[in-house]
Parts: sequence; C-alpha cells; structure tokens
Amino acid sequence: MRSRMPPQAYIDEAWFARERELLFKPLWQFIGLKVMLEKHNAFITRTLFGIPVVVQNFHGELRAFENICPHRQNPIQVAPHGVRPLFCGYHGWSFDREGATRIPHEDALYRFPQEERACIHLRRFALEVVGNLVFVCLAGTPLPIKQQFGAAMLASLTASSLAYDSEVIMTTYEGHFNWKLAYENLRDGHHPRYLHARSLYQDVKFEASISEEGVAGLRRLHETGIADRTRALGLMRSFSGGGRDAPMAAPPDEPYHAHVERYRDQDWYYNWLTFPNLHIASANGGHAFIIEHHIPVAPGRTDLVVYYVTAKKKQPYASSAAVLHAHMMGADVVMREDIEVMEQIQRTLHPGARSPHLGDYEFINASLELWYLDLMEGKFAL
Amino acid sequence: MPCKHVIGHGPELARALAAWRSVAPAAALELRPLELDPAAGQAALTAALDGLDGLDDEGASAFVALDARFLNGMRLDLMASLRLRGIAMPALVEPGALVAAGVRMDDNCWIGAGAIIQHGSRIGFNTVIGGGAIVGSGVTVGHSAWIDEGVVIGRGARIGAQVTLGLGVIVGHGCQIGKLCIVDKAGRIEADVAAKTFIHASHTQPIVIVGA
Repeated sequence: MRSRMPPQAYIDEAWFARERELLFKPLWQFIGLKVMLEKHNAFITRTLFGIPVVVQNFHGELRAFENICPHRQNPIQVAPHGVRPLFCGYHGWSFDREGATRIPHEDALYRFPQEERACIHLRRFALEVVGNLVFVCLAGTPLPIKQQFGAAMLASLTASSLAYDSEVIMTTYEGHFNWKLAYENLRDGHHPRYLHARSLYQDVKFEASISEEGVAGLRRLHETGIADRTRALGLMRSFSGGGRDAPMAAPPDEPYHAHVERYRDQDWYYNWLTFPNLHIASANGGHAFIIEHHIPVAPGRTDLVVYYVTAKKKQPYASSAAVLHAHMMGADVVMREDIEVMEQIQRTLHPGARSPHLGDYEFINASLELWYLDLMEGKFAL
Repeated sequence: MPCKHVIGHGPELARALAAWRSVAPAAALELRPLELDPAAGQAALTAALDGLDGLDDEGASAFVALDARFLNGMRLDLMASLRLRGIAMPALVEPGALVAAGVRMDDNCWIGAGAIIQHGSRIGFNTVIGGGAIVGSGVTVGHSAWIDEGVVIGRGARIGAQVTLGLGVIVGHGCQIGKLCIVDKAGRIEADVAAKTFIHASHTQPIVIVGA
C-alpha cells in the first residue's frame, strides 16, 4: 500500500512546530527514571520539544516545573541530573515545592508591585509516576494518563519498571533524523534479520508476520476514518503495547545474573513500545533493561537518551559498574546500526520525494500514519 | 633457578614475557607462561590457576598481564586470586623507564619502556603505565589503572582505582579522575571527572553511571 506520509512530515520546520502543539503538548511524555530522583533535592532536566523542564524531589515528592528562572530566564538547574536545591545561581532566587519564589534582597533591590509579585512563580507541569517511569504533561489540562496508554499497558510498565535497579548507566546520542523514523523502525519487525544480522538477530530471531485481523482493521479504518476523539484515543492506545516479543535463541547466561532479582523467569526478548517516543526492551529475559527515549529537537534532529539498568541487585557486587558499561557498549552496536539507517533515510528526503510503499506486515505503521495525519490535518484533537 | 609464572592473554602476555626477558636473562629466571581465555568464566580461570605447578617453590613469583577489559576488573580478579595463594608479585619496570627515587610502586605494577614517573608519585598495585607515558610529580594513581602509551598526567593529579586513560589523553595539573572512569578520547582534561564516567571517542556525550 502507498503511504500517505509526505516528506514534509520529516523535514519541515512548520510541520515540526505543529507536531509540538497537536501531538506532544497534549500527551504525557517520559522524562526520566524515578530511581534517579530518590533523594531530597535530586533533579532531572530535559528539554522536551524546546521546552526546558526540571523534575525535582521535595522531601520525597516529585514536582515538574519549567526550568526557567522568572527573573532573567536563566536555567535554574543546569546539569542534566544531580542533587541540588531548586536555586538559581545567577541572582540567588530559590523556589519551593509550589514553585513559589524566595528573592534575596527583595525589598532593597527589586520592589516589585504587589500585583506583579503575585505572578512571580514557576510554571508547573503535571507529573505522573508509573512504576519507575516519570512522565510529564505540558498541557494546562492533561489527558488522564490511562486514556493515553490504557490500563493493561500501565500495569505492564509498572510491574516491569519496578524491577529496575537503582544503579543506572546513561548517555545521549545526537541523531540526525526525524523522531518518527525511530517509532516506525521499532514497529517494523522485518528489519532485524537484515540490519541486525550480525548483532541482535544472533540472539533473538524476530519473525515478522501478517495479521489478517490487523490488515482488515486497517482497511475498515481507511473506509470509515477516525470519526471522533474517543475512537482516536482508542486507536492511539493500540500503538502502545508491551511484554514478550520473541524467544531467545539460547538461555541467558551471564555471571552477574546470579546477583540480580530477575523480572519473571522466561527466556524471552521483552519489548515495550510506548507511543509516541519511548522504547523499553530486555534482550536477556528480564535480567537487564534498555530504556530509549527519543526526544525531538528539530525536524532532522532527535536526541536518543539511552538508559541501561539491570534488574534489582540482591546485594551490591564489585563488578556492577563494569556490567553496566559492558551492556551499554553492547547496545551501542545495535543502536548505531539503527541510527545509521535512519540518518541515511533522512538524507534522502526532500520536498519532492515520493512516499514509501508499505507491506501488509506493516499494518501497525500504516494505521499509525493514518491516525497521525488525521491529527495533523485537524480531523480530531487530543 | 627461580621461576616466574606470567599469566595473561593475547598481546599483553606476549609483551610481558618479552619485557621480563629483557629484565632477567634466561640463565637467571625461568619464565612459565600461562595463556588464559578471558571469556572462559571464573570457574575455568580458578581451575587454571589451581593447575599451576611450582607456586610454592622457593623464589617463585607471578605476574598478571591482561588488558583493561571489564574496567580493569578482570586483571584485578586474577591478581587477587594469585595473591590469595601467597605468591610474590613484584612490579615490572622495563628497561628505559625513568622512575624517580622514592616513587612508591606496589605489586604487579608494569612500567613500560620510556615511561617517566616523577618525584613523589605513588602508583597503586596492579596498575599499568604504558611506554612513553609521563606521570608528573606528586601524582597518585590508584590500583588497577591502565595508563596507555604516551599519556601525560600533570603534576599533583589524582587518578582513581581502575581508571583507563587511552591514547592521546593529557590530564591537567591537579585534576582528579574518579574511580572506574574511562577517558579514551584524545585531548586535554582540565576539569575533574566524576567517578564512573566514560568518555569514549565513539560517543559525542559521556556515558555516566548514576546511583549505586
């Protein structure tokens, strides 16, 4: 079938700005791991679609704010993570759990009128914790998170992420491709046997297949369209799913496995695709997890923030840092294979580029693009 | 004649054997190499060490020659296994290395040809300083570090345990590199690097470990 996705969806600045307003602003977005925010004053900063956000622990309670000091618009927290009070280093303004401001030398130097002073506080964002996963929503009236992911997906994300250990390795890849290429790639089960033939496919034999039910559903969708918001939300929930994906070629067997509390006890590749831009997987049957967060930066730029954790340690062991580093470098091989092909695709795109041809096995991506284009064309709103 | 068990893998083992031979002629020291497969697992490594003959002989000693894999942990584990067996593991200082008087150097250190270790420095056990590296005065290098050939460490710097400094790295005077770090991107480090930070030439941004 011929895709309807125009090249502008991947390369155009105006399209990208519309995505931010219509798709990302209304939706819950992953921002980080709760295990990195356990201490009082622990924080994470990220820039989500151009908006700087800080999540800060106030005596055990997590709050999300725009990471901009209301005085001179300096970022309040500068590091990507750490433990530090919510305090602007430029002129010493500090902020409490409500975002209210304490201003040193206020009467002597600032003399704000009462009306203006009442407006000086941080912009707060809604925040939800799902197991060990922290989500924020940039909308004024957030969608209930269950409407975005569905109860079953939230339960699966909660159960699996609660297995994470508190020692986390992370880095960021600066990808030169549009963020949608990542979710399309992740929902394409046919590429691993070619692209990852010498890496991931050695351990897990992914088999793409056609779901006749899925294809029939797609045809119905083409005929009827997405009539209303309820249908749109229901369809969106079907883009997220998780659990067992494919059996492992051989049982996992690493010396550190004896030191961790394995998530379940099945020799499967686990996969959690969390629409729009979060992917979690366990390539070794629940002994360790990779969390990939694809953050759109520009039409042709996506930051991939990658975390790796093992399952919870039974007790500390000397080589845990080396285990995490080895996992990260192993994942790096597969990541680079994906990044390279997505960057190649991005480079081919130009305003006059022809649309791709999707096979029936790609019915999920086809449904997704239909949903996405209806959203972008204003046929429904989130 | 005293014997030395030289235990390790690949090019490091071959290099160590050649270095020990340059230090002591065949008539003065018998070298007994043992090639290990690092991927064989702990049980196989223990069995290989258990099978060594002559560990208790008078004058017997050992030397471990492994690369920086697993954050230098594999070399550390192997050395620890041998230490538990009570065998001497003196440092290897290759001919042409210049080590200032009073530099403290512990067991199983390996100082390559042409390396310069300046006054007042301290090199922890099991640390490898590559040929041509320069360690400035008053530097402390923790145990089981790997300092590649030609690395320069400025005076007063502190290098943590199990740190790896790769080719082309210069550590500024007084800088601290926390334990278990890798700096494998050529260039000059002028700010302290937190423990468990991995700076690879292949990565635009550092890899970091948070929490414990």
